[in-house]
Amino acid sequence: MLNTADILNQLAGRQRNFSLSRELYSDEGVYHADLENIWYREWLFAIPSCDIPKTGNHATLQIGQYPVVIVRGGDGEIRAFHNVCRHRGQRLCPKQNGTSPKLVCPYHQWTYDLDGKLLFARDMGPDFDASKYSLKPVHCRTGGGMVFICLADNPPDFDQLGSYLRDYVGASDLSNAKVAFTSTIVEKGNWKLVIENNRECYHCGGSHPSLCRTYSDNPLMTVMEGPNAASSEILSHWSRCDEAGLPARFVNEPGMQWRLARVPLLNNAESFTMSTKAAVNRRMGTIPWNDAGSLMFYHFPSSWHHFLPDHAIVFRLLPISPTETEVTSKWLVHKDAVEGVDYDLQKLTEVWLATNDEDRRVVEENQRGILSPAYEPGPYSPSQEEGVIHFVDWYVRRMMDRLSPRPAMAAE
Amino acid sequence: MAVLVKAFGEKPWRDDEPLECVMVVPETSDTATFTFRSPSGSYFDYQPGQFVTLDLPVPGGNVQRTYTISSSPSRPLSISVTVKAQPGSVGGRWMLDHLRPGMRLKAYGPAGIFSFVRHEAPKYLFISAGSGITPMMSMTTWAWDSGEMPDIVFVHAARAPSDIIFRQRLEGMADRVPGLQLRFTVEESDAFRTWHGYRGRLNQIMLGLMASDYLEREVFCCGPEPFMQAVRDMLIGLGFDMEHYHQESFGAPIRNEADAPVMDDVVPDEETFAQVTFESSGVVAKCHETDTVLAVAKANGLNIPSGCTFGLCGTCKIRKTAGEVHMVHNGGITDEDIEEGYILACCSHPIGAISVEV
Ligand code: FES
Ligand code: FES
Ligand SMILES: [Fe+2]
Repeated sequence: MLNTADILNQLAGRQRNFSLSRELYSDEGVYHADLENIWYREWLFAIPSCDIPKTGNHATLQIGQYPVVIVRGGDGEIRAFHNVCRHRGQRLCPKQNGTSPKLVCPYHQWTYDLDGKLLFARDMGPDFDASKYSLKPVHCRTGGGMVFICLADNPPDFDQLGSYLRDYVGASDLSNAKVAFTSTIVEKGNWKLVIENNRECYHCGGSHPSLCRTYSDNPLMTVMEGPNAASSEILSHWSRCDEAGLPARFVNEPGMQWRLARVPLLNNAESFTMSTKAAVNRRMGTIPWNDAGSLMFYHFPSSWHHFLPDHAIVFRLLPISPTETEVTSKWLVHKDAVEGVDYDLQKLTEVWLATNDEDRRVVEENQRGILSPAYEPGPYSPSQEEGVIHFVDWYVRRMMDRLSPRPAMAAE
Repeated sequence: MAVLVKAFGEKPWRDDEPLECVMVVPETSDTATFTFRSPSGSYFDYQPGQFVTLDLPVPGGNVQRTYTISSSPSRPLSISVTVKAQPGSVGGRWMLDHLRPGMRLKAYGPAGIFSFVRHEAPKYLFISAGSGITPMMSMTTWAWDSGEMPDIVFVHAARAPSDIIFRQRLEGMADRVPGLQLRFTVEESDAFRTWHGYRGRLNQIMLGLMASDYLEREVFCCGPEPFMQAVRDMLIGLGFDMEHYHQESFGAPIRNEADAPVMDDVVPDEETFAQVTFESSGVVAKCHETDTVLAVAKANGLNIPSGCTFGLCGTCKIRKTAGEVHMVHNGGITDEDIEEGYILACCSHPIGAISVEV
């Protein structure tokens, strides 16, 4: 198991534009360092707000060692708490999704209000001060209907991303959406391999026959340098969107932790379906055309998303162990769209269910190969794997930054 | 042009004289206070908490509407009513849109029996919702002007802080006397405004926190009927002596004792027998209406998981398949669940024969 110094050595010694070392993709010590320095410190996409549309709805997730519950309160506000009872520490809400007027611990029924206040604890004596035992809050912010949480005491800035999400994802009006389907799978691969796989389409031609009906694997379709520099197809798509007032142009965080851009699908395809036509008749939000393409949004370390005119798919990954990652996908449609009338669930989900499974297989094989002592880092394609390079550079920079010993007086 | 009033008129105002509107003040987004004077200069004599009936010339013919007076007879130069335009209202809407200073209206009254001056007590508990706050405002102003502010706990439920009518005026009074304790609860907060008060629907636990000595207080309640019903259920459930409870619906103020509706609240009665059928176990148990379903289950060797035993935690939720129960809960169950037939066993009393899936 690598210690901090070993990890720093490996990070510093990596060759730029090459994949990482075997240990960085599999070692227990690295896994814990990733949790401590990335997962417990960055904003993480958690759920779309329409996953908990009503008072008392809650959703849970596990980030490393931290169980978290996200609740919609009586005032409509979404709040996040450590999902840990203040009595003897029982996990408060055991299910992935639930609804209850109060949060009640299943162990001894300590009862918390939806804003985390302890309302009642039986037989705790006259001197018991319930106000000292509220649930511990977790930072929680929403932008454009996307709920993010952060476990750090002092979270990084969220405002800039939040305001872009309001504009870009706002066009899909997630406040009037519902979750039509959720799939959760476990990929036996390190979380970084899952993201790397997602950040390139070098593998698409060979692996994703159904996705490639609508999604171009031409690397130029995802490469862009700024709001005014991209392939001519994308630039003309953006001008068309501009005229319709639909936010589309590339925006990014300078270190590439996140980016947003709306890109056209192949041959005016409308949606990620086998027919290339929209999967849902009742469209979402205010996107003016069926062939508006996909608003693509990724955010390191935990998510990527597609917002289409007829539906949206949000993807969240969470590390489970050095070589296991949970991937949750949710298909969102207009809240009034009726299954079997406005959409067929199978047609809506088949392409990405297949794609997720294809990706699971390549990631698992990738991990197997990397576990071989014979593995050595190989070079990324500069034209095809630029997105992977962004991710690996971001990861290495963050980790070195946070692992490096600091002079005692340095101000953070 | 009105003239400056230099002294009280000789005689109290009588309703054969019309009222002249002299002031219109917006209170919240859909509520305004209308102040009237008597053109002859008479003063106004009434009991705080009483109402007047206004004859409103709405298009399509006059309508008569009754409003509790929000001003206090301790300030007798004018009277005011504070009117909220409820959705679909005709009279209230007309007043907000058309009634302006200078206009005169026919009026009847004042009348009504909802006044704390008729029920002297050392301590009061005022409970209101929405525009049910108006008689409370009148009574509180009277108490303040008397110079010997009695002990009043003033509970008010509103949709949002910005909908609390008279908030500043009440806070202004409460800031200056120890006798007035304000307790506001809201369903939702306003954007970009912190709210430190209570939140959510009024329930027994909240009531206990707002006025721990509520059992010793003379209660005055005003609001929509379902709100007052919930307050009555809470108080009855807590063992409050309902002789000391007085209410006024802002929909239908009561003219005299004879008009007062007989309240047919379900008060589980110790003498009345009831019966619970526990379906899964086949147990049929005779009991009293005063027993809770949870207690009946226990007494018959059955167990229903429970926690708080007062309708807060929801642990004892079970489904009822037949019959009626009287349930006074504290927020441990949602309206949707109740609609689907669920009850909280710990705070449900069987009224007659019932069946549950236990
Ligand atoms: S651990 Fe939660 S109530 Fe005891
Ligand atoms: S035991 Fe808590 S609601 Fe019944
Ligand atoms: Fe893929």
